[in-house]
Amino acid sequence: MSGKDFTNAKDDALVKAARRGNMQAFEELVARHRDKIFARAFSMMRNEDDAVDLSQEAWVKGWQRLKQFQGESSFATWMTRIVINLCLDQLRRQKRHRTESIEGMDEESGGVERQMPVVTVNPTERLERGELRKKIDGAMGKLSEEHRTVLVLHEFEEMEYKEIAKTVDCSIGTVMSRLFYARRKMAALLVDLRKEK
Amino acid sequence: MSEEQQLRLQAFLDGELPESDAREVLAWTQRDADAAALLTELRNTRAAIAKSELHLSVPETREFYWSKIEREIQKLEPVEKEIAAPILNWRRLLWPLGTAAICFVVAMMEIPRVNIVQPVAVVSQDTDETVVETDQANSDATTYRDEADGTTLVWFSAAADANPISGKMPGAIN
Repeated sequence: MSGKDFTNAKDDALVKAARRGNMQAFEELVARHRDKIFARAFSMMRNEDDAVDLSQEAWVKGWQRLKQFQGESSFATWMTRIVINLCLDQLRRQKRHRTESIEGMDEESGGVERQMPVVTVNPTERLERGELRKKIDGAMGKLSEEHRTVLVLHEFEEMEYKEIAKTVDCSIGTVMSRLFYARRKMAALLVDLRKEK
Repeated sequence: MSEEQQLRLQAFLDGELPESDAREVLAWTQRDADAAALLTELRNTRAAIAKSELHLSVPETREFYWSKIEREIQKLEPVEKEIAAPILNWRRLLWPLGTAAICFVVAMMEIPRVNIVQPVAVVSQDTDETVVETDQANSDATTYRDEADGTTLVWFSAAADANPISGKMPGAIN
């Protein structure tokens, strides 16, 4: 397969060629999926530089592990799992190097959100898609890393509780708890953002 | 509402409850306004988030972004090549060594056969007769005389270590 053919080739064919050591084929895979991998890294890290570095690291890991890709999921999904794991490792490292804030402790136990009144109106109603995305993104940025991670994995990656627990290395109960408080906090943040408008 | 009830409500929303439990929660939300309100809030939030992921792009060109990945991959490659190198070198030698071994075996088989009948030149010429000069009087010899051309060829059977009779091989006598 020549370089010209790579642009029309399916992911499976590119993966096969890359497994044989063809860097051009791998470069085409990177070009196709780099935005998705970067976006996932950004949604977890909330920092553009970290997201670029970790996404690139994920691609290098992907190259090293190509032989392990059996095709049970799509190549993009497989790569997304790699970048998620790298982000989780990075977040753990960062956490070890800093003291937990009081806010973080509250979020972990759900102390604040449990007492919050229920939001009776839909805060995202009548918002344009672009505006809604920005508001959601802004609110996600205000969550703790633990809550944001669980929310990203559940809502964006559509993982089940069990799978999230395995990925994050915690119990299913913790996943449920984090997800609940993350959603409640998001609801409150979205109401605040609407009021600000 | 207890924390356990709240989490159960959420599990119902996410389709994580067994069917019988899901039916119970549904009945509960139909008779409890607080449960129904919380379920609505969770549902709205989930729907808002699910369809609202920002479509981000890598803030670098394709070439620049790839160049760092390529560099990192190339750093890994020499290690793999070093491991593979001795095997590769050994394989390179396989063909020449094999060919040399075959040549040697063939040569060993051919040498005795070559020595059985060895053409030896005869070099003395006179006008009427041919003189054969040899120190192996009992050697078998085959002679060919071409009268028209005036040429005689003589073939001797000689031992492998026999000395050549003359410096010319094979010879023709005119």
